[in-house]
Amino acid sequence: MNPSRITSFALLLSLLTHAALAQSVCLPAPRLLTTMPMGGQAGSEFELTISGEFIEGAEQLVFSHPGITANKSADNKYTVKIAADCPTGIHEARVMTRLGLSAARVFTVGKLPEVSQEKHSTTVQSAMPLQLNSICNATMPARGVNHYSIEAKKDQRILVDCAAQGIDSKLNPVLIVGDKDGNDLQVERRGGVIDFLVPDDGTYTIKVHDLTFNGGEHYFYRLVIQELPGEVPVIRQPATRAVAAHSWPPFGLPPEAPLKEHDSEDAQKLNLPCDIAGSFFPAADVDTYEFEAKKGEQWWIEVASQRLGRPTDASVVVQRVSKDGDTESLVDVAELSDIPSPVKVSSNGYSYDGPPYNAGSSDVLGKIEIPEDGTYRLQVTDLFGGTRNDPNNIYRLVIRQATPDFSVVAWALHMNLRNGDRNALSKPIALRRGWTMPLEVIVIRRDGFDGEIELIMENLPDGVNASGTKIPAGKSRGIMLITADEGAPKGYANATFRGRAKIGDQTVTRPCQLASMAWPVRNAWSEIPSPRLLSSIAVSVSDDETAPITIAAKERKVWEAKTGEKLTIPLLHMRRGEFSGKAINMSTFGSPFESFKFDLPLDADSSEAIMDLAKTPPGEYLIALYGSAVSKHRHNVAAITVAEQEHTKAQETAAALAAEVTRLSEQAKVASGQAKTEAEKSLAAVTAEKKAADAAVAAAEKRVAAAKSQANPKDIVDIIVSEPIKIRVQPAETK
Amino acid sequence: MSTAVTSPDFLSKFHLGHALCAAWLMLFAGSALAEQTTPVSFVNDIVPVLTKAGCNAGVCHAKAGGGQNGFQLSLLGFEPQEDYDYLTRQGRGRRLFPAAPDHSLILLKASAQVPHGGGVRLEKDSQGYGVLRSWIQQGTPYGGDQATLSSILIQPDRGVLPPGAEQQLKTIAHFSDGSTRDVSSLALYESNDSAMAEVDDSGLVKAAELPGKFSIMVRYQGKVSVFSGAVPLGAPVEELPPSKNFIDEHLFANLQQLGIPPSPVCDDATFLRRVTLDIGGRLPTEEETREFLADTATDKRERLIDRLLRSPSYADFFANKWTSLLKNRRDVASDITSNFAFHAWIRDSLLANKPYDQIVRELLAATGTVIANPAVAWYKRVKEPKEQLEDVAQLFLGVRMQCAQCHHHPFERWSQDDYYGFAAFFSQVGRKPSGVQGEDLIFHKRGVAQSQNVKTGLMVRPAALGDDVGEIPPDHDPRLRLADWMSSAENPFFAKAVVNRYWKHFFKRGLIEPEDDIRDTNPPTNPELLEALEKHFVSSKFDLKELVRVITQSSAYQLSAIPNEHNVADQQNYSRYYPRRMQAEVLLDSIDDLSGARTSFANLPVGTRAVALPDNSYNNASPLLRVFGRPESTSVCECERRESASLAQSLHLINAADVKAKLATSGGRADRLSKAEKSAKEKISELYLAAFSRQPRPEELDTALAYLAESRYDANGKPIDPKIVARDNFQDLLWALINSKEFLFNH
Repeated sequence: MNPSRITSFALLLSLLTHAALAQSVCLPAPRLLTTMPMGGQAGSEFELTISGEFIEGAEQLVFSHPGITANKSADNKYTVKIAADCPTGIHEARVMTRLGLSAARVFTVGKLPEVSQEKHSTTVQSAMPLQLNSICNATMPARGVNHYSIEAKKDQRILVDCAAQGIDSKLNPVLIVGDKDGNDLQVERRGGVIDFLVPDDGTYTIKVHDLTFNGGEHYFYRLVIQELPGEVPVIRQPATRAVAAHSWPPFGLPPEAPLKEHDSEDAQKLNLPCDIAGSFFPAADVDTYEFEAKKGEQWWIEVASQRLGRPTDASVVVQRVSKDGDTESLVDVAELSDIPSPVKVSSNGYSYDGPPYNAGSSDVLGKIEIPEDGTYRLQVTDLFGGTRNDPNNIYRLVIRQATPDFSVVAWALHMNLRNGDRNALSKPIALRRGWTMPLEVIVIRRDGFDGEIELIMENLPDGVNASGTKIPAGKSRGIMLITADEGAPKGYANATFRGRAKIGDQTVTRPCQLASMAWPVRNAWSEIPSPRLLSSIAVSVSDDETAPITIAAKERKVWEAKTGEKLTIPLLHMRRGEFSGKAINMSTFGSPFESFKFDLPLDADSSEAIMDLAKTPPGEYLIALYGSAVSKHRHNVAAITVAEQEHTKAQETAAALAAEVTRLSEQAKVASGQAKTEAEKSLAAVTAEKKAADAAVAAAEKRVAAAKSQANPKDIVDIIVSEPIKIRVQPAETK
Repeated sequence: MSTAVTSPDFLSKFHLGHALCAAWLMLFAGSALAEQTTPVSFVNDIVPVLTKAGCNAGVCHAKAGGGQNGFQLSLLGFEPQEDYDYLTRQGRGRRLFPAAPDHSLILLKASAQVPHGGGVRLEKDSQGYGVLRSWIQQGTPYGGDQATLSSILIQPDRGVLPPGAEQQLKTIAHFSDGSTRDVSSLALYESNDSAMAEVDDSGLVKAAELPGKFSIMVRYQGKVSVFSGAVPLGAPVEELPPSKNFIDEHLFANLQQLGIPPSPVCDDATFLRRVTLDIGGRLPTEEETREFLADTATDKRERLIDRLLRSPSYADFFANKWTSLLKNRRDVASDITSNFAFHAWIRDSLLANKPYDQIVRELLAATGTVIANPAVAWYKRVKEPKEQLEDVAQLFLGVRMQCAQCHHHPFERWSQDDYYGFAAFFSQVGRKPSGVQGEDLIFHKRGVAQSQNVKTGLMVRPAALGDDVGEIPPDHDPRLRLADWMSSAENPFFAKAVVNRYWKHFFKRGLIEPEDDIRDTNPPTNPELLEALEKHFVSSKFDLKELVRVITQSSAYQLSAIPNEHNVADQQNYSRYYPRRMQAEVLLDSIDDLSGARTSFANLPVGTRAVALPDNSYNNASPLLRVFGRPESTSVCECERRESASLAQSLHLINAADVKAKLATSGGRADRLSKAEKSAKEKISELYLAAFSRQPRPEELDTALAYLAESRYDANGKPIDPKIVARDNFQDLLWALINSKEFLFNH
């Protein structure tokens, strides 16, 4: 490429970049990003400070467990009370805002006393003293190391743990125990704990930093210093679960496996079915089991390890033992590894080409068919375990006869909204009036279950309805559509979400778990998204903003037609703002209409969707039309009025004080003696008040300007989904 | 394309140039033989002639991609069957003319009777010409069931040559049928140190004046052998420093054999500075220096070594060395996490003194994610099995396998099967994409490990440099078997490579040079010492700190750098300490320590030292690191680190803005000393202790005192504020110290 072409290319690239930057992705959604502290001791009461995105004027702080309550004490500050009987572990905090209930932030309840670090301690000299058996809530300074000091006695066993990514933090913690001068004695950089046996009485330094020395308020952590008796196993701090974990455990599995792996070189004999707990320990561990089976039998094998939170990649090989005299040989029957995502997960390409969530796992779920009567060996290995010596890398192996079942997981739909879009924003189900939010629902099918699955969401706030497209037989994906009516009142509720299917002659329901990103990642190239499962499904409606457009069928009815006909559905476009572009390229949710596409005009109030039912079998269907549009969004217009009112009030106060200053000046001029002294004193006091009032006017002016600037129309592209449309297709008339 | 940096002389020696070829052909000139009547063998007679004449050198007709001007030969005759086809069947048969052999194109060209780009390769009356002519006359036979070459032997295979002495070598080829043949005139000879001994094309060795050990590599038709020679100095060795351990026994025995008297053991100040720089990569603090110099205990040097080995600075310094060799390189911003994690893994392993074989095992057989297992990051940098095997062989075994990918190794016994057998260990490395671009999860992919020999097309099972490692079941990660083989006590390469590498770290020169080119034809200068080090290391269970300890405790390491009247020319036998310029990172830290400045590095806490930098990305922002040759982590070769001196380095220290800014740092040493309430003498003492770990000598003190007492005047002749003068004078003194060889070198 010659230099002039390079220059032109660079210019073009720069223009494109600017064009791309001019357009934001996704309408503002409230997100609670930090709480300080990030948890508390059961039975305690304390002050808590929050920060977040689009949470201005935050109101109520809501927790996922009723045992935790909060009262607002000041802007972004709350007094939190944790009931003594509140269960320990992970809970969720959300804050109610003008845009609805925010995205969740993990809140941990524990049994140990807690402290919050008020200023960073970046040197050994400034180390913050900590008591044994306590928890310190802190944030990490950028390019810094926080230092703590503890007093310990020889032969004490001290456990140093740090909850960070498991409580939604961006911190990748490094823990160091050092001597009193800070010289490193023991280091843990892989997210593990330090199990420290104190060599001598004295002071020890504990250092915490981020692996790459990042910092800031999003790099928060809970440092736990605990004394443990000699042989007690280490119990880690509670943490959120990975998305993969939605499919574990299988329904009805007891919490503890009845069998344990033997530490033996020989194959461990099993009788099928079985349920056994083991560990990938020591390094390059190969656990071998042996069982007898008959020709034609089918056995389902499931291994959980990654879904138990371990960084493993389990693999199973089943071999038939063939004997010729004393010579034994093994013949491969099956090799099982990974539970693949049933839908394509986005690659690391230019833009998303699939969801940024993976419902699959590196665990094992598969079937073996016994080719002939005989002895079989099953090997369980960790494909990541060649050199790692960690007895905590446990697994659970279940071998069972087919028990068809399913597990469903959902997340807010992500779409490629513009060139190079790799946003991985956390999306709370905080609905604008007239808005329909789609959740993508994925099923992991177990043991050959192939049937249709209905999706049901209940316990919704007033004015909110949810309808799910069915996950068709043999398919893996459905869509749940949650719609707020145009007149829905502001409110929130903890919803229930289930999948329902007929398995054999039984109708079963299984909870659908919701996954969300921990952070609003705008570009997954520069920041790796952190998806995890939520423990509650909060749905809320805002009365402050309405959807930029609502697309709905002209009537809320079941639209009927016959196979072979064309179905025309008149659509209404309730536009509430301006848009860039003339039309939305609409596609369709809901089988078998996915291939139906059309352009919905953005400059009209209505249109028609004409669907060819030539190949549509009779049945009842639920569909929705979807696409993306760029709307001119004005953020928090109401804030301008509020700011202007405050400004006016400030001006009035200042004017009144100015008049008072004039009056007192005149009075002081004419007064004498004691009266003059008093008048001058009053004048000085009022003059000071006037000065403060003038400053308040200037501040209020700035707030007005800021509110106006914020409310300037801004191009924002988002997913637009119609209200769900029900269709009934009757059989074609026979002639 | 491989990015490995290879020692320049390695390639140049291998790909023989025209000039060298031209010299060889003269050997045959004037010694024409009568026509040969016995049957001429293509393999045993013709190929050696072509090789000796340089026809099949890499720059001539064995040039990759079709040879030269349509005539192709295999490199150094390693593929005689192919050469036979090239000669007899290609070129429309015009190269050979049995009816009139002298009109054969090959003879016309080789003797330059017709224009030949390579000039005269064989004079018409030479022996080689005669052999070729006879072969053509006999109808260009291949040779049928002829005996194959088994080995070559050198007579004698070792010798002591006083300066100026000569030794004729005789090369005897041994064939499969038990026959032997004197191939002295056809063999190729090469000295590993021409300053010590030279060898001509006939195998005549001539010793030069430089005392030491040398070797002559002899090659003949893919077989190699070596003559080990010694050039003694012959001076009386009457006094030897006390022998502290086996290192001293072997090293001093060698000096006695060569007659090179060693320098005495250095003084405490020198030792403190030397060992602190070599183990901790930093200067001793003034407090450490004062304490050490005041300490009267007899074991204070041993205790100092132990203290340094326990300190994080040991781990930082050696992690810096290893992470560079392991290519911990930042290419894109998102590499930061894996680079920091990988560096920290090495550093923590060294701090905890994890056995070396365990570190290598964890690296070789790494699986999982970078965060859960940072050793995986190596597989992010080194993606292809070929690159993996080449790096592992060169770094951990000291064996350079690159040549054997395409042809038999010219200086070694490695064949392409050896190459692909080694590659097969890495054939079951599975990859899955991770959330980070360009970063994979690494897992063991079940299956039979094998790799295809691109030459033969056959699949080759894992084999470790000729050693059988047994059948590897498909469920077993072959890399673990490789790690088992490497760490076995009998492994001939693994321990040797690292003890030699560490020896070089402390002595400037490896017992084998280059340190990662261990082969039969490149023998160690002190084989007994190298073997003893290997044994000690293996018996210590691959304890790296013990290796450092035993080296630094020896009197050999503690010898003075000041030569005596005899050993000034010695550059090989460690009769004195060989001074080395501080490496870039250590120099930057030392200037910071001396000046009281602190270099700020992106993404790292203030106060992070340059030796603790996790990757190469900091070179861009630090001119000093660049000028002084900090490597970019693109190679497993230590030679990527530039240790040579340059004008740019001198100019940088004299005048660069970053150095001047450090001297002038507010609150820095010059600023502080200029304001301090203590005598000028004390201040100068502090400067010398900080820079050289010693007190100033009287003449140095006088000079410095006089300089500090000088007044200064501005351009108008008015006296400058004494406070400013004092600060400037201290800056000048610091500047002078930094620019002294005593500061810049570890000595």
